[in-house]
Amino acid sequence: MNTNGSTSEIVRVENVRKIYSDNGVPVDALRGINLTVSPGDFSVIAGPSGSGKTTLLNVIGTLDKPTEGKVFLDGEDVSSKSRRELADIRLRKIGFVFQAYNLNPVLSALENVEFTMMLRGIDAAERKRRGLALLEELGIVELANKRPNEMSGGQQQRVAIARAVSNDPRLVLADEPTANLDSETAVKLLELMERLNHHDGITFVFSSHDPQVIERAHRLLILKDGQIVTDKVNV
Amino acid sequence: MISRIAWRNILRNKRRSFILITSIVVGVLGLVFTEGFAVGMMQQMLTNQIGADAGYIQIHKKGYQSDPTLENSMTDPAEVRSVLRSDSASLDYSERLRVFGLISSAYNSYGVSIVGIVPNEEKKITTISEYVAKGSYLTGKPGQILISASMAEKLKVGLGDKVVIMASQMNGSIGSEACRVTGIFETFNSGFDQSHVYIPILTADQMLNADGLVSEFVVNPINPNDMSSIASSIRDGIAGLPENAGKYEVLTYEQMLPLLVAQLALYKQALYLVAGLIAFALIFGIIDTMLMSVMERTHEFGVSMAIGMSNGKIFTMVMTEAFYLAITGTAMGLAASYGVFLPLSHSGWDLSMFSASLKSIGIGSIIYPVLDASSVVQTVLIIPIATLLGAVYPALKAIRLQPVEAIRAT
Repeated sequence: MNTNGSTSEIVRVENVRKIYSDNGVPVDALRGINLTVSPGDFSVIAGPSGSGKTTLLNVIGTLDKPTEGKVFLDGEDVSSKSRRELADIRLRKIGFVFQAYNLNPVLSALENVEFTMMLRGIDAAERKRRGLALLEELGIVELANKRPNEMSGGQQQRVAIARAVSNDPRLVLADEPTANLDSETAVKLLELMERLNHHDGITFVFSSHDPQVIERAHRLLILKDGQIVTDKVNV
Repeated sequence: MISRIAWRNILRNKRRSFILITSIVVGVLGLVFTEGFAVGMMQQMLTNQIGADAGYIQIHKKGYQSDPTLENSMTDPAEVRSVLRSDSASLDYSERLRVFGLISSAYNSYGVSIVGIVPNEEKKITTISEYVAKGSYLTGKPGQILISASMAEKLKVGLGDKVVIMASQMNGSIGSEACRVTGIFETFNSGFDQSHVYIPILTADQMLNADGLVSEFVVNPINPNDMSSIASSIRDGIAGLPENAGKYEVLTYEQMLPLLVAQLALYKQALYLVAGLIAFALIFGIIDTMLMSVMERTHEFGVSMAIGMSNGKIFTMVMTEAFYLAITGTAMGLAASYGVFLPLSHSGWDLSMFSASLKSIGIGSIIYPVLDASSVVQTVLIIPIATLLGAVYPALKAIRLQPVEAIRAT
């Protein structure tokens, strides 16, 4: 595990604890996590339900703040950043893929992909060009003008992946991305993400207990009761 | 793109947007209706008063306005007449000899303002001839009198019956004249009706032994918008009269009817309060509906925050939705207002059931609402501002969401 703090690491998590309050009862979701993720990793955080996978992903993705410890993204300590700064970091450096796709229902596939580019201030013509190119690359260009409710789960997840990588992020965090898909669709999507990882060098960190995801991982981290109990590379 | 999303968010829940837009339309209609009705009523009060008696401009001997007695009448009206005739292309005028006196029948006596008029000239200036309900208007023949229906009832007289009028002459003796009721009038104002009778000016002159005295010249500009310039021109003409030495006063209706003008100004102030109350009620409606809209989309806001949408952009998006709802509602409200008020502004709104109350404040039983530019501008400003103010709290609620908790929301 590399913890030297160099910017060759995309993610460094140092002694992170996260304590939730559940109806006034403190719950230790993460208990002293130390972790680094290097550029080009294709890592999976696995573990049973309630082990802290999603919490860890949220902390890495700056959606949640640790109770203790520090998180570095691209060498930058994000633990004490303001909401505005964190939103900017997420916009520039991180792409998210969610279990329930979470596309904007009032936007078409192309507009969903363009949305994050719009937030970065990319002009409309360039957004459209890049959006269509991404949809083409992911094999869903014919769905460009379809709304989410006109697409299957697999198609929506492809759009979600296109949205996640549209701003050329350093890191894509995917929370149970195949949980709502049939196995054939899940395999196709995983192949797609492997291709993006391999060809475009995008770093992926998954949280999943899907064996199809785990068997593709270059590195497997197993969480149990908020602690990393296994960290295997080249599995 | 933010505006496109805002529009689509408005359209995605058509029923809620319809309710919200309807509440804005009702707000606009309420505001325009209140304004239009009140402004129409106020203008009618003023134009009735101007039309029936005061006219736009009056010329008196100095001091007559504060002490309207025979002693304060004009002894040399010919010089004023010459000034008015020199400007006859842009104005009409009439002259009156007016005195407070008594009218009596075999049954009763009442104090009234006895107004001696030149019937044909008066017809050009005031609308009293149009209010003759029975009999006919004065022709100028000596011994004619025009009284109101309420006065006829009190005196228990009808057309052709004899009444006696009397008033103090200049020398202190009492002059009287027997007149026959030629016509009975009924105006919009019960107070006015009970206190005015009209006779030919020659009859008044004879009764008062006035020797050509004139109490007032009533002047109407051909174009009422020229009132101020014509009043100035008359003042200049009178100032040029030999030995004028400030003998006369030239007053516009604003100076003659200060109470009415002040009342109208007060009404306008009160309208701001009404507009404020309508806007206040609207704000709460907007808060409620927009808050519901924001809370329903908690999950979406969470996702948007996760992918890097800043608080500023989320705030802007909610406010943009409110802005579009506001302009749509305001435009539809204004269109509906025109649809309702244009016909009403021509045909009037018949409030005969309240005619007694309306007459007591000098308004006819048909109100003609007025939709003027200032009402439209006020509405166009107030309603969207109220809508945007109402959206601020829901927008703040949206940006205070915690991304992790918001994403978990269903």
